[in-house]
Amino acid sequence: MRKNKKKALMFGLYTRKLVFFSLVLVFTFSVLEASKSIKSYKADDYSSFRGSSAGNISQKIEMAKNGDIVVDGKISKNKIDLLKDYDELRLLVLEKPGKYINSLEVTLSLPDAIASQIEAEVITQHGVGSSQYRISGDNVITYEASNIAATGEVTIVTKIPKGVIEPPFIRTVVKFINDIKHSFWLLTAIVIPGLTLFCLLAILVFQYKRQRIDIPEKEIDAPPMAIPPAVVGALFKQKVGAREIAASLIDLAKRGDIYIVDRERGFVFGKGKFDQRLLGFEKILLSKIFSSAISSDRKDIEQRINQHLYSKKMSLLTVGIYLLATRLGYFKANPFKMHFKYRMFGVLLFLASFAGFVLSLYIFKDPPYAVFFWIGAMIASLIISFTANNMPIRTPIGQEVLSNWLAFKKYLSNPMPIQYDEANPELFQKYLPYAVVLECEAAWAKRFSEHNFIIPDWFVTDKGGLGLDDFCLTLYPIVSYVGKSFAAIREPGFE
Amino acid sequence: MFKWVFLVVILLILVGKFWLTMFFVDGLSMYPTLNNKELAILKKSAYANNTPQRGDVVAVKYPGDPDNKRYIKRVIGLPGEKIEIKNGEVHINDKKLSEPYLEDGVATEPQQIKFLSNNQYFLMGDNRLGSNDSRYFGPVETRFISGQAIYVLYPHSKNLVK
Repeated sequence: MRKNKKKALMFGLYTRKLVFFSLVLVFTFSVLEASKSIKSYKADDYSSFRGSSAGNISQKIEMAKNGDIVVDGKISKNKIDLLKDYDELRLLVLEKPGKYINSLEVTLSLPDAIASQIEAEVITQHGVGSSQYRISGDNVITYEASNIAATGEVTIVTKIPKGVIEPPFIRTVVKFINDIKHSFWLLTAIVIPGLTLFCLLAILVFQYKRQRIDIPEKEIDAPPMAIPPAVVGALFKQKVGAREIAASLIDLAKRGDIYIVDRERGFVFGKGKFDQRLLGFEKILLSKIFSSAISSDRKDIEQRINQHLYSKKMSLLTVGIYLLATRLGYFKANPFKMHFKYRMFGVLLFLASFAGFVLSLYIFKDPPYAVFFWIGAMIASLIISFTANNMPIRTPIGQEVLSNWLAFKKYLSNPMPIQYDEANPELFQKYLPYAVVLECEAAWAKRFSEHNFIIPDWFVTDKGGLGLDDFCLTLYPIVSYVGKSFAAIREPGFE
Repeated sequence: MFKWVFLVVILLILVGKFWLTMFFVDGLSMYPTLNNKELAILKKSAYANNTPQRGDVVAVKYPGDPDNKRYIKRVIGLPGEKIEIKNGEVHINDKKLSEPYLEDGVATEPQQIKFLSNNQYFLMGDNRLGSNDSRYFGPVETRFISGQAIYVLYPHSKNLVK
């Protein structure tokens, strides 16, 4: 009896994924809510004047030279708006007082004797009898409103000539950015990623030219050296992906460590001899497939894939393959570490740009066109992340070895049929894992199309009369599915 | 995965900030064109390269409290025009304005004359007896107009653009 009970699904998702996607949804909607994308716009009803008890209000406001507004001795959060032609104070001084106000008087002290140069206005709504302003000193303006309903609102507006207010440096910078034309910001969203792409492409071209792999003229009819197919794949593409995992599975089956059973609906992997010559990454792959049971079917594997958001084992498998290739002297540095460095730079730039994007939404006036600068930076960061994987880092030894493997690839993909050799009846399956990582498995199979195909003993099926094409059509989807699924659950940074 | 979540969020924010957003109508001052609690689409990019036209239904920040209060009104007077309300009718530069969006027999009050400067618009609600608008709080500068209401989504779909 199996020890591990299968975990129940909720809404078709395993618990960890359900929690993850719930958090993603909560985050998304929080951001949307924060950005207030859906607002309520008042089709405002007119409130008629009504009064209950009389009252008089007077208020003293001081405007500081730096643009601070001091109301009754306290610095207000309201600031002077720095506009293009003038600076402006727009202050809601009375909002729905809740009772009838007989009169309101607001005295505004200006930082200089400029009262005569000021353009002022009183804006009222929801029941204010009358309003006006008057200059009551060289640097004083008095705003007045009377007969204010309980729902009334009074706003004073003061337009100050440029040069009177000397705002702090940071506000000057914000104003400067605000004043930049939106076409400039839109241009930055194109120019920044464009320049990044251009520079990275130039570096890539330069590096590829420096590390040019000579395509051999002659083909080699045997693997140049006995190294695992996954390492050959890593050397070929500088990446470890689904093909390397799929090829490792076929290689393990070919060596008798596992067998693959084709079923009507699905497949089963069975444990084979499990000898001591297994490499580290192969052991990891087998432990991911089998856990503690002697066989593992599609459902078991799906469960193992789905119960984790990311798989540490699959990340270690990738590292193991890279490490082996690096120890063999094929790469200047561990490709994973190199790619990770570039990718981390890309990710950090992306996060910094995202932070800048969010800050711009709140700092700059609506619509905040400066966000397009950060959009450009974000696209640039994505370009860096995507380009990182393709930066060539093979050593001269790696280039030479790869050149030999390319000569072998030439042999595998040669369109000429291979003559049946009684001494080597399993030639097709022998080199199949290499054909998979060198991306020529179809061409390799084609070379045997005229042979009488015998199903390898590590592949079990109840289908009778299986030819080579049928074998490929049955085997490839199985190993490809497992390879892709395992590759997809590696931790971030391992793609 | 995270990248895609970020990208979708950013895309939604960009659309909402610069192109289209949705809003709920609160109140009856635009009746019969807009009803209370209707969900409508606001095209924020409508005036990026154009100016508001007479008859447009626009979202406007209330000039007395632009950070917190937003209204939905109709553009009646354009920059540089003379607006006169007399005998229950609206006159633009001394010519009577035809207002087919009003209910029959609705009069516009109170009588007044306004001269708009070169960046001011005169806005009014279609429910003239129950709307707080430029007649009371004065003309509105261009910078306070944040977009054009173009479509009612819910509960009954309706095109607001002529």
